[in-house]
Amino acid sequence: MATATYPPPPPYYRLYKDYLQDPTSAPEPPPPIEGTYICFGGNYTTDDVLPSLEEQGVRQLYAKGPNIDFKKELRSLNRELQLHILELADVLVERPSQYARRVEDISLIFKNLHHLLNSLRPHQARATLIHILELQIQRRKQAVEDIKRRREEAQKLLKESLATLDGH
Amino acid sequence: MDIISQLQEQVNTIAALAFNTFGTLQRDAPPVRLSPNYPEPPPNTAEDAAANISEQPKPLSAALVKAAKQFDALVTALPLSEGGEEAQLKRIAELQAENDAVGQELQRQLEAAEKELREVQELFGQATDNCLNLKKPD
Repeated sequence: MATATYPPPPPYYRLYKDYLQDPTSAPEPPPPIEGTYICFGGNYTTDDVLPSLEEQGVRQLYAKGPNIDFKKELRSLNRELQLHILELADVLVERPSQYARRVEDISLIFKNLHHLLNSLRPHQARATLIHILELQIQRRKQAVEDIKRRREEAQKLLKESLATLDGH
Repeated sequence: MDIISQLQEQVNTIAALAFNTFGTLQRDAPPVRLSPNYPEPPPNTAEDAAANISEQPKPLSAALVKAAKQFDALVTALPLSEGGEEAQLKRIAELQAENDAVGQELQRQLEAAEKELREVQELFGQATDNCLNLKKPD
């Protein structure tokens, strides 16, 4: 039975022969990749941003613009969804062969709903960062107060002990 | 679970309820007469099957509406207080500046306290040495 041997290690190890004596004789690690890169035959990008609906070929039902009122849009999409479900029920009773258009509309509403929720995530990340910073500031202020108090107590103790020793 | 994940779960629940509703009703529906040329569809033997079907839509649709109301309640609970990305970024910059200032104050206090500790330790060492007469006085 023929068994394949493991592949040999990459030959770069020879470059690090004198690393212990002279750390600068070895090459620097490669810089971080920017832009797109290929990994195991797939294309990946280093820019993590949520692609807009048009880029995915899905019609956007809620209003565009810089500041979206998320609550209002989410509520109106919910009502649209309920209406479409009722419409589908009606169509199935009256004209059953025309279900496809209604089902497509319902899936479009679901895609819009999920896209809206996903675009809330950066806002959530920033709010989490704000919360963490506030907690850290509070802890640091508490530590400063603690140190001040302890120093004053130590000074008081020293003065008392000085008075005790002098009066001795 | 955070509120956005709860909202996403609720959307998926509404979807699941919707297609379960339609699937159940379609699966259990009795056959329908399409044209007078075709004979009458055979009547359903089990009596309770007919009773079940007529009372199925009510709890199914009630569950759907309840899920939609819960979604609305979750949307109302969203803490979207300040407006816009710029306001958040400005607040983050302010907090970072304040954090740096408080950090420096903390560092100063810490260094002063450590200096005092070293002084006290040295004086204490001298006092004990004098007490125990370990060093000859100069």
